[in-house]
Amino acid sequence: MTLDPVIHTPARLRIMTTLTALPDGDRLTFPRLQSLLDATAGNLSTHLRRLEDAGYVETVKGHQGRVPSTQVGATRAGRLAFERYVTALQALLRPVPAGSAVSTAPLPPATVAPIPSEDP
Amino acid sequence: MERDERSDSGAEADLALDPAASEALIAEQRARVTAQTAVDATFLFTAWGVAWLVGFGLLWAAERELIPLGREAALPVFFVLLVGAGVLTAVHIGRRTAGVLGTSASQGAMYGWTWVAAFGGFAALDAALVRVDASPTVLAVVGTVVPPLLVGALYMAGGAIWSDRTQFVLGAWICAVTVVAAVVGWPHMLVVMALAGGGGMLTGALVARRERRGDGRSAR
Repeated sequence: MTLDPVIHTPARLRIMTTLTALPDGDRLTFPRLQSLLDATAGNLSTHLRRLEDAGYVETVKGHQGRVPSTQVGATRAGRLAFERYVTALQALLRPVPAGSAVSTAPLPPATVAPIPSEDP
Repeated sequence: MERDERSDSGAEADLALDPAASEALIAEQRARVTAQTAVDATFLFTAWGVAWLVGFGLLWAAERELIPLGREAALPVFFVLLVGAGVLTAVHIGRRTAGVLGTSASQGAMYGWTWVAAFGGFAALDAALVRVDASPTVLAVVGTVVPPLLVGALYMAGGAIWSDRTQFVLGAWICAVTVVAAVVGWPHMLVVMALAGGGGMLTGALVARRERRGDGRSAR
């Protein structure tokens, strides 16, 4: 079992954790997300774009009163991917004991999928 | 895009993330999001519990002449306590939910307006009673019974909306206490509201705190 390379970086894992911690259908304004992550705007934008390309987050340009605001939320696919990521993580950390039906043999961290930002 | 990707990997010097570190990061960030965006029931119940306990208690003590303070002096203190709890509530909810939009935000806004409508109605009832020259005691009885009944009913509704058993039980308790207070009658209804109403709120605060701690552990 491999870990989703789109999620498996500290910054994007933190973003996905934050957005999926909210109830389904909720979004955060860009500044609020930024403050919950202690991220710089540029860095956050870069990672959000990547998650958006994967279909995991959705950016909505809206208005709060008269002030334009960018709102970010996890998509259904994003929530599903995050759930799968957590399941895979738990399988890696607490492998099912030998002899049980599922063949999730203990995997060393080396089997973690390559980091996407190193892709061509 | 190409350049962004490269600057992305450059900024991410800490790319080596092992599964244990990932798990720790998820737990830590979840706790942070809860701490900073979830409305803290313990805080709100404590604010209102103290306001009721002290406020109603003071009114009762003034009414029974147990303290050198008349009704005219105790009443403003009571209102200051209630307004104080109201301001704390508004500031707390405003801070926690700032920048959160979507389903739960509109749900919360609708629920908030329900409180405004209910208490707007109570203010109108009070004004109507004043217009027909209701005696101060009639006003005091109405003012002691109606608002807690609204609070109890709205807590019960809130419990239903958010599947929050603590909030529902606390609301039911407050409704029951209000009925008992009405049966007990003036002026001892005040001490019933102080001890059972305010005390119930403070108990609710303790229960909510224990539940929240339990949640925090199970999330890890």
